Amino acid sequence: MSALTWLQRLVGRFRGTPSEQPDPEAARNLFQRRYHALRLLLAANTQALSAMAAMEQAAIKGGGFGMTFVRSHCTAVGVNVFKMVRNLDILAPEKYTLLFDRLEEIQHRIDDDLATIPTPGDVPHVLPMAEIQHTHIDVTGSKMATLGEVANVVGLSVPGGFVITTSAFDRLIAANDIQPEISRLLQAYQSEKLDELFVLSSKLQQLILTAEVPPEIADAIVAGAEAAEPAPYSTFALRSSALGEDSAGASFAGQYETLLNVRRSNLVASYLEIVASTYTPQAMQYRKRHGLREDQVAMSVGCLEMIDARSGGVVYSGNPGDDRDSDIYISSAWGLPKSIVDGRFASDLIIVKRAEPPTISSRDIGDKRNQFVLHPREGVRRADVPDAMQRQPSLADHEALAIADAAMKLESHFGTLVDVEWAMTHAGDIVILQCRPLTQLRESTDRSLPADTPKPLISGGVNASPGAAAGPVHWVTRDMDALSFSRNSVLALVQPLPRWAALLDRTAAVVAEEGGIAGHLATVARELGVPAILGAGSLADLENGFEVTVDASGRAVYAGTIDALIEQRAAHPEQVADSPVRRTLRTVLTHISLLNLVDPKGLDFTPENCKTMHDITRFCHEQAVREIFAFGTETKFPEYASKQLHHNVPMQWWILDLGGGFGQPVSGKYVRLEDIACKPMLALWDGMVAVPWDGPPATSRRGLASILFEATANPALASPFKKPYADRNYFIISEHFLNLQSRFGFHFTNVEALAGPRLEENYLSFSFKGGAADLERKAARARFIGDLLAELSFDTEVIEDVVNARRTSLDHQDVEQGLRVVGYLLMHTRQLDMIMADRAAVAHYGAKIRADLTQFI
Amino acid sequence: MAISVLVVDDEETFVQTLAKRLTLRRFNVYTASRAERVFATLSENLIDVVVLDVKMPDLDGIEATQTIKNSYPLIEIILLTGHASLEASLEGMKRGAFDYLLKPVNIDELVYKIEDAHRKKELQEEKIRRLKDESNDPSGEVGPVD
Repeated sequence: MSALTWLQRLVGRFRGTPSEQPDPEAARNLFQRRYHALRLLLAANTQALSAMAAMEQAAIKGGGFGMTFVRSHCTAVGVNVFKMVRNLDILAPEKYTLLFDRLEEIQHRIDDDLATIPTPGDVPHVLPMAEIQHTHIDVTGSKMATLGEVANVVGLSVPGGFVITTSAFDRLIAANDIQPEISRLLQAYQSEKLDELFVLSSKLQQLILTAEVPPEIADAIVAGAEAAEPAPYSTFALRSSALGEDSAGASFAGQYETLLNVRRSNLVASYLEIVASTYTPQAMQYRKRHGLREDQVAMSVGCLEMIDARSGGVVYSGNPGDDRDSDIYISSAWGLPKSIVDGRFASDLIIVKRAEPPTISSRDIGDKRNQFVLHPREGVRRADVPDAMQRQPSLADHEALAIADAAMKLESHFGTLVDVEWAMTHAGDIVILQCRPLTQLRESTDRSLPADTPKPLISGGVNASPGAAAGPVHWVTRDMDALSFSRNSVLALVQPLPRWAALLDRTAAVVAEEGGIAGHLATVARELGVPAILGAGSLADLENGFEVTVDASGRAVYAGTIDALIEQRAAHPEQVADSPVRRTLRTVLTHISLLNLVDPKGLDFTPENCKTMHDITRFCHEQAVREIFAFGTETKFPEYASKQLHHNVPMQWWILDLGGGFGQPVSGKYVRLEDIACKPMLALWDGMVAVPWDGPPATSRRGLASILFEATANPALASPFKKPYADRNYFIISEHFLNLQSRFGFHFTNVEALAGPRLEENYLSFSFKGGAADLERKAARARFIGDLLAELSFDTEVIEDVVNARRTSLDHQDVEQGLRVVGYLLMHTRQLDMIMADRAAVAHYGAKIRADLTQFI
Repeated sequence: MAISVLVVDDEETFVQTLAKRLTLRRFNVYTASRAERVFATLSENLIDVVVLDVKMPDLDGIEATQTIKNSYPLIEIILLTGHASLEASLEGMKRGAFDYLLKPVNIDELVYKIEDAHRKKELQEEKIRRLKDESNDPSGEVGPVD
């Protein structure tokens, strides 16, 4: 017997006929299995949509994700879409089997796209630099994967050496069983206080520093050092390369440790130090600011040949503070590039114009009295620059042009502006030490000053991060000063050291006596949009607590707060990075997130027209609700039939209880509001009746019940004949679940919520469409509602007169609170489209709605 | 009665840690780190849900899913993998797995999946029991499993 005939037999028995009464227990079991299938389908829908949203975010923002991210999210979407199709098949056996074929076709298309980037096989603990390319990003971190690509694909010179991969990191954490303690400490930390962050950071770093490096990792490190090319070299530079580091908009510049001149015998201990720097206060603050998850941190470490540089520095293939400027900016100093990236000492700034051939358009030669050098025995140390060299350029013209050429090659290969750390050897060879996407800000085009701008207290320095902001001055020269740093202060520094980046999260603006545009602190300031003037010279006039406005774009500091200037200088981050992984992500998204099936009433709303994963989720969700509704309305067994809501009068809503939605069994045609136990429905109802409607038209004297009645009164609903699903007002409920499909006046609404004990599965979604006015006013109302919901933390999308809003991962109280808001909006926005042309009226109702919501939430 | 879960993975440490955490959540946990123990445990005990690593040296998780479902159609299987592959995951689902999770495992998520899988099994068992009671069919045909 086929599944279909068997179910037909059972359903036939369940539905019953006058001569054949249904078996209540069989009916109950069938109903519960269908309800369970619906619940699993809805949970899979939430998970599929969340995975799609994460992929879309990554595609828009860019970032240091690799193919592991892309593959795991494709898998999450695929598995959950499969579960939706399978559960729909339980709700409507053999009715939509074509969806399995559709899913398989989409899966093959995705697999084909994913195959363009091979999966690295089993990952060793150590990989030689000569084997690394950008596709190794998941195991070597972005920084080392990019450096490998620079050498092995672009063909530029990089230091030799090897990378200790994330596989070693995972093994280190697992072998010492410290992840539970790390998770516990991180979960326990809820504070905003800096001193507590420092304590947490210290505990986490201690956990790692006291861990045992498993022998297989130690052996692999020693073997890697022995095999390193070009041999022999006795000391290494150890550089962090964490997952997510160095991505566009998240450079982590200087937030992790770099150790120079590490002897072979110290490699293992130094490896632990770099891994421990995963939890420096500044790195933790940085992750928080960029919304990066602590539990997805994994550190790999590059062990690279030390380059004894005659000169070193940083080249930007564009002006980081102004996207209209395509010149190439080279910061250079004598010795190692450390003096540039630390922002400590004076340097040269050489600007190269892109022309045929490129030419040097400007040279600003600094008074370079100090440098960092590589000493054979003492390692990296500070040294005086001989008098004769102090005012000499640290790069000859042809060397500067060669560096600019390398930057342009890298820019062309990676398809984005680049920020490159380089060294020039004593033999005159260029070695690339690091390459990452450059964050560029769009500078305000208006360079004028507002009227009445006073004379600046300080002028000069470099615009290291454009914009303007005001706040009280707070000098930071040692850690103690940082602990008392209050939010929205102006950070005043002598040297813009990378470690002060932990404060940028709460900083209005930065001013420093020393430093230039290429330092790590400048890079992070640009990413966070914090205006910064560096290299300003003496700031002795700025006293602690003194209120100032820092105009980085105008390279000036003014006494007091000048709002007009702050507004005029507003800067916007501009991210343009791309990578093969991101391109692959965008390609697979065309099979995943595009939505072609938009209108459930449309003739094209069929399995045949499901072209993407999103189409299948949309189709399954819609059909699942229809099927369960049909099941509930067609059954002859009264316990499972839908009931008409009775609240003072019979309302135009029918209610189908899937289990636990009624406080007690309800026999007969009606269910009273006091019999409802579904908390989401009661919350929505609370919102609907919380504040009497006094908008157009004025509140009826017949009271709220009749307004609620009228709300659903529509000519199409007056018919005594049985309505199809889409034309009826009904609630499908259970103890924790609500689906409301309703017409309110002339608009169509769908509210769906799950508010159970599983926070991860809970959600609230709200769709709204239509109205009686013309499309322009309906669209204006949709935007009005969309803005309100966005203010209330909903993910909101407005397309013409349609509003779709969704919130996920909420506890049940938050879902219920959200439902009160939605209930209120249902009643109070239903005829607002009629007044959308009247600006004063819109402002009036906007203010009233916000005031009402503030009062009753 | 506690839900009985069989955790299968060749990584002994992983199996033991997961077993400990599931036991704390009041599951009745069995473990197996070799293929032979999987089938022995299934035949000796009443298992509700199997949590099965896809890639073990002596056991292909996808094929094992089919074998288990053929012999014990009501047992639900949750597949675990360290390496995401859309093709392999969907193949596992087609062969009858209840769900597919990526390592590292979020314990709350796994617990929810086990509870959902068990609820499905419970409803199926009840359906079959009822149909057997009602059925006059000596063949004992009771219809398909969802």
